[in-house]
Amino acid sequence: MRHLADIPRWCDDVTDSASPARFARRSLLRAAVLGRRDESDLSLAATGDGDAGAAASSLTYTVTGRILDVSPHVLVLLTEQGEQRFPLAASAEAWRGGLVSPAALRQGDHAIVRRRVPGGPVVERIWAEIGRVAGTIIERDGRSSLLVDEGPAKGRRIVLIGPEAAGRIQVRFPRLEPGYLIDVIGLKHDGYLQALIPATSQPPYRAGHPPVAPLVSGHVPDPVSGTAIWHEPGEEPENLLGLAYPALDPETSCERAAAAPRACSGELHAVEEHAVDPHTTGCGCVRLPYLSVGSLVRLRNDCTERTRVVPVTSCGATARLFCDRCVTCGTSRKGRIADLTMAAFVELGGALEVGCFNATMMIGH
Amino acid sequence: MLTTIREVQIPLLAVMLLGACLAKAWRALRAHGDTARTDPAGLFPAHLQHPITILMFAAELGLGLGLIGTAVTVGHTRPGLPPTIVRTGTALFFFVAVGALNEMRQRRPDSGCGCFGELSGTPIGLRTIARPGLLCASAVATLGLPPLRMPSSPAEAELWLAVLAFELALIAFLSPELGEIMVRLGYSEPCELRRLPVGRTMTTLHASSQWRRYAGQISAAAPSDVWREGCWRFVVYPGSAGGRPVDIVFAVYLQSRRPAIRAAVLDADTDEVLGPTGTRESAVV
Repeated sequence: MRHLADIPRWCDDVTDSASPARFARRSLLRAAVLGRRDESDLSLAATGDGDAGAAASSLTYTVTGRILDVSPHVLVLLTEQGEQRFPLAASAEAWRGGLVSPAALRQGDHAIVRRRVPGGPVVERIWAEIGRVAGTIIERDGRSSLLVDEGPAKGRRIVLIGPEAAGRIQVRFPRLEPGYLIDVIGLKHDGYLQALIPATSQPPYRAGHPPVAPLVSGHVPDPVSGTAIWHEPGEEPENLLGLAYPALDPETSCERAAAAPRACSGELHAVEEHAVDPHTTGCGCVRLPYLSVGSLVRLRNDCTERTRVVPVTSCGATARLFCDRCVTCGTSRKGRIADLTMAAFVELGGALEVGCFNATMMIGH
Repeated sequence: MLTTIREVQIPLLAVMLLGACLAKAWRALRAHGDTARTDPAGLFPAHLQHPITILMFAAELGLGLGLIGTAVTVGHTRPGLPPTIVRTGTALFFFVAVGALNEMRQRRPDSGCGCFGELSGTPIGLRTIARPGLLCASAVATLGLPPLRMPSSPAEAELWLAVLAFELALIAFLSPELGEIMVRLGYSEPCELRRLPVGRTMTTLHASSQWRRYAGQISAAAPSDVWREGCWRFVVYPGSAGGRPVDIVFAVYLQSRRPAIRAAVLDADTDEVLGPTGTRESAVV
């Protein structure tokens, strides 16, 4: 009666910006069909400042934009709302390759700032031109140039390690060789990232062989604890409050697209042999329930105790490869449970240059 | 009685060594390459890890077979040189293991011992360290033991079995792998983690009474959206009810037998939840 051949038509193409309304509506449809019990779950997940949908879509601490002007006391940003002026707190700090005074930032820099209070005018932290690359090293050129595969959803990036940062990075990443993982934070430039800070310690295993998570009996624990990290926006809007989830439903999401073989030949083949498809390496070291784009999760920064409802907006399967811990405040449980957008990470009180925070995620099932 | 206790140690040690050897081989065959290090070889530099793993494998295999091969020496009543060498080697092997596990526990407290391959992922504790200590003591007890012989009476056989059972129970108590084995034997993957094809969900839905109830209102052959959250898969069809466009949402619980299926009708324009016939009444079935 109904044709299964039509099924792939509605797969979650996470790069498809034409259907965000479809994803955003899913939480409403879910609440309608599962009834009051799950509606109460969603209201529980909301932070108390409105309904879950509103809580999931608005930024209260974070502003993104391009710097038009900056002085010791005022920052002028070109945001989606146009030109906006923000007074700087006396204790305001800025990051541009390292901690600098706000006045040292440059016109034209892309910046993400955090307000001192929600919706308030005063800014307390500014990050300019900060970027991050996390994935598998697939090619090394000399001592300082790496080609890194961030997975099927994000593509490949060039990382340059300058002599001033080489020692610091090699202490935490002793194997800067094809097949091993890297996760570094630094300054964005045209076409490459200048690595400055190691975002974690290098896992001792090759990227394609992460440890296996312990088996789970009964139901998956809820909430689940682990590490929350951040990623660059890429094709996403810069001010998107969302997260790349490591365990999207393989039947309807990015895993299907990733399964397509890549054409390669000659020298490219040498590069491809080190590329790791995170969808083929198992669930990583934490077992998470399958979700879809549009699902809402409640995420808590255990270090700042700030909580937000965050929608799943993209595929974060590369996070499965990293079986590491965050030590921002105490030692987190092993495994990355959420790869947040920059805006969401800052909104939850994270410091971008630190790279992670200890997190607790409630999925509400 | 003391001799009986000492005699039991030889087959016990051989089984432990060969079991560990087989478990490591099984992991190596399944992993097809460089896997995450959860054994003491991980303490060594990268280029030495593989040779040390092979050395451990060879040592366990050699000692296990050696214990069996030298246990019975026809025509002799006193222990010869080969059994003494093998048993001393076994004692040394477990003595070194105690030290290595203790070092591993201090340097990588979240790593397992890797003694029985992937079954040994539990972080090393005192019990894990006590096990090679016990086996070391067992190996020392076999030094100077004459060749093994069959029990001379039923009473001696019963004593032999009782000692074996007691020692197996003691080793089981000291082995975190036992819990892992029990979990694997009775493991059923939670529905949140179970990979289930969409086609099966659709087949289940189309055979349900909920589907028959709403089929008349559905206006498209294919769903407009399908997604999953944990144990539920949601399927949305466009439809028409009472002359207005509606979305009919089905939620299918992902289990093999008699899954729960729920349905709701929403106004496509206002997202208002409607009754089964398109009225503004309680809609959730």
